[in-house]
Amino acid sequence: MVGSVFFLLVVMQKSSACLSPTKIWTMQAYICIFRKQATTFLLFSYSSEVIVITRKEIQKVLNLDTKMKLDFVCISDNMDMGTADSLRHIHQKIKTDVLVLSCDLITDVDLYKVVDLFRTHDATLSMLMKKTHEPTEGVPGQKGKKKPVEQRDFIGVDDTGKRLLFMANEADLDEELVIKRSILQKHPRMHIRTGLMDAHLYCLKKYVVDFLVENRTITSLRSELIPHLVRKQFSSPMSLQQGQDNKEEDQKKKDQASLDIYSFIKEDNSLLKPAPDNSCWNDRRGDMNETLHEGKVRCYVHIMKEGLCFRVNTLGLYIEANRQVPKLLLNLGLEEPLVHLSAQVTDRGMVGSDSIVGSSTQVGEKTSIKHSIIGNMCTIKDKVKITNCIIMNSVTIEEGCCLQGSVICHNAVIEKGAEIKDCLIGSDQRLETKAKHVNEVIVGTEQLMEI
Amino acid sequence: MRPVGEAALLPMANVAMIDYTLEFLTATGVEETFVFCCWKSAEIKEHLQKSKWCRHTSPNTVRFVTSDLYRSLGDVLRDVDAKSLVRSDFILVTGDVVSNFNISRALEEHKLRRKMEKNVSVMTMIFKESSPGHHARCHEDDIIVAMDSATNRVLHYQRTQGLKRFRFPMSLFQSSIENVEVRHDLLDCHISICSPQVAELFTDNFDYQTRDDFVRGLLVNEEILGNQIHMHVTTEQYGAHICNLLMYKAVCSDIIRRWVYPLTPEMNFTDDKNQSYTHSKHNIYRGVDVSLGHGSVLEENILIGQGTVIGSNCFVTNSVIGQNCRIGDRVILDGAFLWDRVHIADNVEICHSVICDEAEVKEKVKLKPRCVLSSQVVVGPDITLSEGTVISLHPPDEEEEDEDQFSDDSGVNKMESKVKLKGYNKKDVGSEGRGYLWKADDKNEEDEEEQRQSLWGPALHSEEESESDSDLSLGSEEPDSRTASPQLDDIKVFQNEVLGTLQRGEEENISCDNLVLEINSLKYAYNIGLKEMMQVLSKVILEFPLQQLDANSDSQNYFSALLPLLKNWTPLFKNYIKRASDHLNALFAIEEFFLEHDSLCTSIAKVLMTFYQLEILEEDVILNWFSLRDTSDKGKQLRKNQRLQKFIQWLEEAEEESSDGDQD
Repeated sequence: MVGSVFFLLVVMQKSSACLSPTKIWTMQAYICIFRKQATTFLLFSYSSEVIVITRKEIQKVLNLDTKMKLDFVCISDNMDMGTADSLRHIHQKIKTDVLVLSCDLITDVDLYKVVDLFRTHDATLSMLMKKTHEPTEGVPGQKGKKKPVEQRDFIGVDDTGKRLLFMANEADLDEELVIKRSILQKHPRMHIRTGLMDAHLYCLKKYVVDFLVENRTITSLRSELIPHLVRKQFSSPMSLQQGQDNKEEDQKKKDQASLDIYSFIKEDNSLLKPAPDNSCWNDRRGDMNETLHEGKVRCYVHIMKEGLCFRVNTLGLYIEANRQVPKLLLNLGLEEPLVHLSAQVTDRGMVGSDSIVGSSTQVGEKTSIKHSIIGNMCTIKDKVKITNCIIMNSVTIEEGCCLQGSVICHNAVIEKGAEIKDCLIGSDQRLETKAKHVNEVIVGTEQLMEI
Repeated sequence: MRPVGEAALLPMANVAMIDYTLEFLTATGVEETFVFCCWKSAEIKEHLQKSKWCRHTSPNTVRFVTSDLYRSLGDVLRDVDAKSLVRSDFILVTGDVVSNFNISRALEEHKLRRKMEKNVSVMTMIFKESSPGHHARCHEDDIIVAMDSATNRVLHYQRTQGLKRFRFPMSLFQSSIENVEVRHDLLDCHISICSPQVAELFTDNFDYQTRDDFVRGLLVNEEILGNQIHMHVTTEQYGAHICNLLMYKAVCSDIIRRWVYPLTPEMNFTDDKNQSYTHSKHNIYRGVDVSLGHGSVLEENILIGQGTVIGSNCFVTNSVIGQNCRIGDRVILDGAFLWDRVHIADNVEICHSVICDEAEVKEKVKLKPRCVLSSQVVVGPDITLSEGTVISLHPPDEEEEDEDQFSDDSGVNKMESKVKLKGYNKKDVGSEGRGYLWKADDKNEEDEEEQRQSLWGPALHSEEESESDSDLSLGSEEPDSRTASPQLDDIKVFQNEVLGTLQRGEEENISCDNLVLEINSLKYAYNIGLKEMMQVLSKVILEFPLQQLDANSDSQNYFSALLPLLKNWTPLFKNYIKRASDHLNALFAIEEFFLEHDSLCTSIAKVLMTFYQLEILEEDVILNWFSLRDTSDKGKQLRKNQRLQKFIQWLEEAEEESSDGDQD
């Protein structure tokens, strides 16, 4: 349920100039699971074309009523397609520059900041990053506070913090971090940052998609294409051909000769061509030899300092995102109240302002709901205490239960007087009267895989 | 507090470099300075005693410490620790730093850090921000630093040394440091604020020779020693360490362009009455009694010392001219650095070159960029020195062991005797010239750019390299000439001995067998290898006729003088030339000789022919030598010599015949 079903949402613009500086909200399905029977929920103020790449089963449950024109492209279930594969799959639909984002992203970033970077610098790529979120509370079913053993990313940015100069993953490095002199010659101050999370939101030039179409060996945007582009910034077109061959040959066995990104760059606007040469503007504080256009590939990154940005790809982040979303919804100015009109809540006062109650849900007397999200068609009896919980659709909770920091999936039944703390209850599970569970995962065997 | 002083007496905009350093220290509030000196200490002491630093009114007490034992910064600091000269924080600078940096803020930060975390931070290094490509960035001093941008802690410090890729150990990127900044835009001013611990650490780690050793050692062993180094970056203020002539030139022009304000020439901070200048627009500074001829133009950025006379219709720009110079008419000086008492005759053109004390440039001489004329050298008349020519009074073989050709005149007397043996090469210095061409490293010509770098750039520097690697960062602080590389010495002495032996042999008609015996014993006495032996022998014999003939003799005379000698000494050669490599070595020596004596070039074919006919050299070796590809341009030129080509052709034919004969 909470496993990351990765699919790709491609937002395509009529022309790159159309990417107007407006707030674009993308929201992840899982959060709003009870309000909308949908996997994906997307708010997009300005009309544009959106292509959603998804799997059949998900499209079936998707029920979007937005003003946007959505174009669904389904990929078959049994094909293992990477992000780059997906983009390649729909390449004939992409006519201009493209904004790619994955559907597990929830953010309130001012998207124009990313897009502006893209446009002002005539960039090949601009992307979004955020400081890694430190989970504040424990994750249900997790024994102790074990730190996720993640490979760190090293991100090198220039002094302005916008130009992306360097990217490496700990896994690819031995004992040392190697930085080329040519980079430092042009950008003598490089900040190497760790602990940044890639939001998987990319603005890409059209020619990058063309490049992808030709380079079939690249399967993932994040782990292959983006580092490749970042590297290419500081290597010359010709030497690259060889360098790349040498470098990547050992990484992956290439059937076809690797194609150079530079051959895809089109100099379409002949009017603008002399402009950079005549300009005295310089995009960096390094040597003053050439200005902007010494390298045709340029990557930029917008690093969010504040605001909400989640990639919901773990249970912990899912819970955290759920806590944050009610605030986000309030800011958005929702058309529907947090407590759905069709919900029958006996003691309105007992429902916290940051809680959501779905449609047709019944809440009994003296039941308090704090910092929690309750789905549709649930039945919650009297004297129940719910704190920090996520309760999905059609869940029944009987009298006198006490639920804390738990996730309860669809159709679960919790009998009288159960006390549950920091647990994950799978769908269709039934907890007996006065059951006590702390920090446990209670799921059916067939669901185990998904956690 | 103190600088580690050294022989920084070279005039920088007519003021000795050490004065800039002392002024910087005094201006920044230093009250006591120790000058440590290990070389030319007498001169430095004399200079300092005459200067304002040793007057009673000086706010900065300068103490002078000298010892023969100082061979590196490490030795000095160990001595400081042994004598416990310092008890509080001190500033460590070398004597060739020009700066107007105000240390107080960095010092405050340093003290605060030491207060916050007791004695953890031991040193604060001062850097100046300057982007790559800045003219004051010195190639050999180029550094890359990784720092913690939150705390200014130095995490990694490395000289770039022309590396294409920089490697940073993963241990730098710990989670506690969120933002590691890699900086390549810093100029190391060679100014460091040190705690007394620094001296102790040098004592504890007796292998530390330089500050670089210290920094590296501390950073690598940070976990063990628990000491940290911090840094302070200045953007506005000036600081530079003069380690080669490029830096000399850059800093000089910065001083004149007033970047180092208030250390400008007209301030006369040394308080020397000979050093008063008036400053007029376009940064033109004139001393007292400067006379400028009719029609001469001083364009911009010019400093002219007291008593200098400039003739008429001259054009001067971006130049420094010392005291009491005489400059003739129609002279063009562009980026010239003239020291004191230089004589420039009429119609001279000097471009981006340094001319030391009392040197003389005769009429119609042209100096291309990056030439250096050491003190008392005379060039000309009517000669053009190609780019990067360095001329000194010391014979080329000698130059490696003498320390400073620019201001050193003590060595001149010693050399005088040798001068008699070897004439000045008129090709190099002109018909009335005095001086020898100084070569940085003539065997290493594969990389032309590198070559040029080493000629001009580290010209001051390359002399030190032969002394001791550990002294590199200390500028000219180095041991005296007695410790110079013994091997070079030996070859030189050996060469003289061989020459003497042969002379005697010629005069007294000693048989070749006896000569071989004598040379053999010399060879063992001086521990000379076969290769050097061959080169020396060929060289000595080829040069032999030159002594008897006057310098202008043509190749005809030369060859006729050489021929009987070669015939006489054939057994001598035969004794030593046995293997193919010996043949080749002999040929190289011959080539070298003829490269050095261009005028005799035409006789090379005859000489080779003689060698061949006397059966000293074999034909296939000669052919082999001729077809060698990796030769210098000059060598190629030599091989184009018509007679030589004819000779080679003849040899080839002869060989074909003989090989045909073999087949029959």
